[in-house]
Amino acid sequence: MHPSGCIYIYLQPNGCIFMRRDVFQGIADPTRRAILGKLAKEKLNLTTLTDNFDISRQSVTKHIKILSECGLVIIEKQGRDRYISARPEKLSEVAKWINQYRSFFAESYDRLDDYLKTME
Amino acid sequence: MSSNQLQVTVNGTQLTMTRQFNAPREKVFRAHSSCEHLKNWWGPREWPLTYCKIDFRPGGQYHYCMTGPDGTEAWGLSVYKEIKAPELIVYEDAFSDKDGNRNTSLPTTTVRTEFTEENGKTIIRSVANYASPEALQQVIDMGMEAGMAETLDRLEEYVAKIQ
Repeated sequence: MHPSGCIYIYLQPNGCIFMRRDVFQGIADPTRRAILGKLAKEKLNLTTLTDNFDISRQSVTKHIKILSECGLVIIEKQGRDRYISARPEKLSEVAKWINQYRSFFAESYDRLDDYLKTME
Repeated sequence: MSSNQLQVTVNGTQLTMTRQFNAPREKVFRAHSSCEHLKNWWGPREWPLTYCKIDFRPGGQYHYCMTGPDGTEAWGLSVYKEIKAPELIVYEDAFSDKDGNRNTSLPTTTVRTEFTEENGKTIIRSVANYASPEALQQVIDMGMEAGMAETLDRLEEYVAKIQ
């Protein structure tokens, strides 16, 4: 287990080793969400991005690394600079999960409504 | 206000679902308490309950499988945290495998379901605390700000629907 990162490595009871990127872990940290918020508007290089925050370049780099592992941002090298852009389509995994949860109950409760009529 | 339509509200940390049923509370509660009842309504219509084992008491488990139209199996395991007949069920829901091992890499949800009766009708209020409580608001905020990808447009439509 990677406690603060995005990639989880875990051992299943059958002995298989799995690796999983967890988008939820990526957005669990407020700084990472703020970084994503900035990147949602435009692609930025590391220096410009760091100037927006009161934390060290090293910390920003660390968060970017996690976001990148989660597939939430892409890092592109352009000369000596590194540009970071957001991949918002990954966030839809979160929305999808919530939506599925909602649909699940909407349909189950409709069925419960029908079932209650037949129940003794 | 409650109606026979499912109402969903999000307050940033929780997903609250409310729905009214034209049946007494005791009956609505009972429908949650055993496989015999749950197999008749739990899950989407196309995903019937194909396996069910329940130990309906605090600390007990609800291990289930829903099978989709193409044969895909969705296994789940809930652990009952609190049960107070006929008014309250609190459980922690997780994805699992067929042997009942919880999948720890997918989010778990703690659901608090309250049953109240008014004039012979029952209102279910189900509050789900999901794994990353602050995530949703951030997703919403970003969607408003950026409006760049189709997925975010869809998210926005969804948010508009639930508020």
